[in-house]
Amino acid sequence: MKSIEVEVVSESGLHARPAAVFVRAATGFASIIRLQNLTAARPAADAKSIVGVLGAGVERGHVVRLVAEGPDEDRAVETLRDLLAGLAQQVGE
Amino acid sequence: MSGRIAGSPAAPGIAVGPTWRYRPRGAAGVPVVAVTSRGESELRIRRAAGAAAAQLQALATRLCALNHPGDAEILEAQALMAIDPAIVEEAVRLTRGGMGPVEAVLAAAEASAEVLAALDDALLAARASDVRDVAVRIARALSGAHLDLPPDPSIVVAEDLPPSLLAEMPAGLLLGVALAGGSPTAHVAILARSLGIPAVVAVRGLLEAVRGAAAIAIDGEIGQIAIDPDAAELQELADRQALRGVRDRAAAALRDRPAATADGQRIRLLANIRSPDEAPRALEAGAEGVGLFRTEYLFLRRQFPPTESEQVGEYRRAMQAFGPDRSVVIRLADIGGDKSVPYLGRPDEPNPFLGVRAIRLASESRELLLTQLRAIWRAAGEAGVTPSAMAPMVATLADAQLLLELRDEARAAVVASGAACPERMFTGVMIEVPSAAIMAPELARLVDFFSIGTNDLTQYVLAADRDDPSLAGLQDALHPAVLRTIAAVVAGADLAGIPVAVCGELAGDPAGALVLVGLGVDELSAEARSLDGVRAALAGVTGAELRALAARSLAATDAETVRAYAHELLDAQR
Repeated sequence: MKSIEVEVVSESGLHARPAAVFVRAATGFASIIRLQNLTAARPAADAKSIVGVLGAGVERGHVVRLVAEGPDEDRAVETLRDLLAGLAQQVGE
Repeated sequence: MSGRIAGSPAAPGIAVGPTWRYRPRGAAGVPVVAVTSRGESELRIRRAAGAAAAQLQALATRLCALNHPGDAEILEAQALMAIDPAIVEEAVRLTRGGMGPVEAVLAAAEASAEVLAALDDALLAARASDVRDVAVRIARALSGAHLDLPPDPSIVVAEDLPPSLLAEMPAGLLLGVALAGGSPTAHVAILARSLGIPAVVAVRGLLEAVRGAAAIAIDGEIGQIAIDPDAAELQELADRQALRGVRDRAAAALRDRPAATADGQRIRLLANIRSPDEAPRALEAGAEGVGLFRTEYLFLRRQFPPTESEQVGEYRRAMQAFGPDRSVVIRLADIGGDKSVPYLGRPDEPNPFLGVRAIRLASESRELLLTQLRAIWRAAGEAGVTPSAMAPMVATLADAQLLLELRDEARAAVVASGAACPERMFTGVMIEVPSAAIMAPELARLVDFFSIGTNDLTQYVLAADRDDPSLAGLQDALHPAVLRTIAAVVAGADLAGIPVAVCGELAGDPAGALVLVGLGVDELSAEARSLDGVRAALAGVTGAELRALAARSLAATDAETVRAYAHELLDAQR
């Protein structure tokens, strides 16, 4: 199992397009991946579920925990972390 | 039985074909699907979810190509919802308990929608209805896709049509659209025009008239429908189409020359754009600039307002695309009212068109307007041009004065930051509220130009909601009451020597353009694709003919008479 915590700096958090991009990327991995919004203290959600990711209510400045378990867990966590950083560049300033 | 009926022209072009009747189908209308085994239920749900996702993704791609990135984004998210494990796996689980596949999908989606709706966030509440929408789509796919698509290329006939359905039809299956309801300014009509699909709307008695017809022919340019046309009628339509082809090519050939009447009176033809991405199309159509840059796309469907530098980037892109000789009139965000955004923190209004909209937001969201004005100054400084901007929904002199104050305050801030900043900004107000039209002589002394928004002006002068199809008869901008208002605005502007532009739908309609120029309007701003037609119409008439047309129109008592006068002049050219 691989786990990591990231602060989301993307201006619109994980709404709309960033959420869709994130879910599409998560779907590409075999591992089970969970996303938990620590700041808003929401229960962990399936990272491959757009409803789950939107429902996590991740806004700018929130800290999220990514947990992956499966054959490609290392790559999954790294890719998604980089993606959150990349989304920050793409959407933010 | 052969016959003809007429409605309102909504999208030009001629289509001939069989009719296909569209009936709205809610979740309740989805038929029960008989299933023999639970394994089969699971397979069918997964297949239907995949099909719905593919449909939505294709639709998103298409809308993106048509320059509707905001709508495309929502559909992309919906495509993911259709295959969302929270919905699909839950639906499969429910069928294992003995529930039918359709009910299982609807119940699973409802549970997800409720989770989103409960989050106390306006944006996510909207996503909840997207989830429900997706569930109905999967349910439809479960009961057979043929239920929602015509079997052969057809003219869709309906009371009204959801715009999404129009966009979702596979290309080639949709020959034309004929609606008993709707109006030429409704969303579905605008979409039909952008897709190039002929459409006639507001056809009274349509559904009864086409019942049992083998084929119909619709002419979206004049709003006519022929039922079971005979050989002679089909020939006439073909001739008309050929003639228009000649006319359209001749019109396109005029693009290199500035628009003018036959006797040399110049009229500036400008484009309406929604994003800098539309600049190449506008330039190709021969636009001499932009008369209306709608900036709402930057403000809608997001959680926070756009930052100053994000706006600078977009405005600079538009200014650079048109260069220093072609001005780009940026309209301050027309948000609030019916276009509500969560970050304004405003309650729903019972009457949004008469509510806190656009410049009226200044009292509680001053910073929002200041940020946009600073961004315009900075973008112009970086692009090396003199900017132009205007405010919508100006009702009083105080509104206009506030605009000037905000403009100057924004400039002072940019100058203080040390950034490059032009000396001046051409500052105008939109005339769409009757009080502003009445006060035009005084308003004209404050600002650099007027831009008349005929869609809203018509709505307010005739007190008819522009989105209500049952009021289609009152939504005609050629109504003499609207034209007399425009004439008064032009007279007021003339006293102060400022130019008047029109940036509503009327400016892009050749008949409307003739009347407007006759009334003394200096600039017309319309969708890029309308410019050819307007330029050609103007080139065929003299200024004296247009002034005579305007005088007759002002003396008329209804819109139909005005339209007939304008068409007399248009037809005389051919």
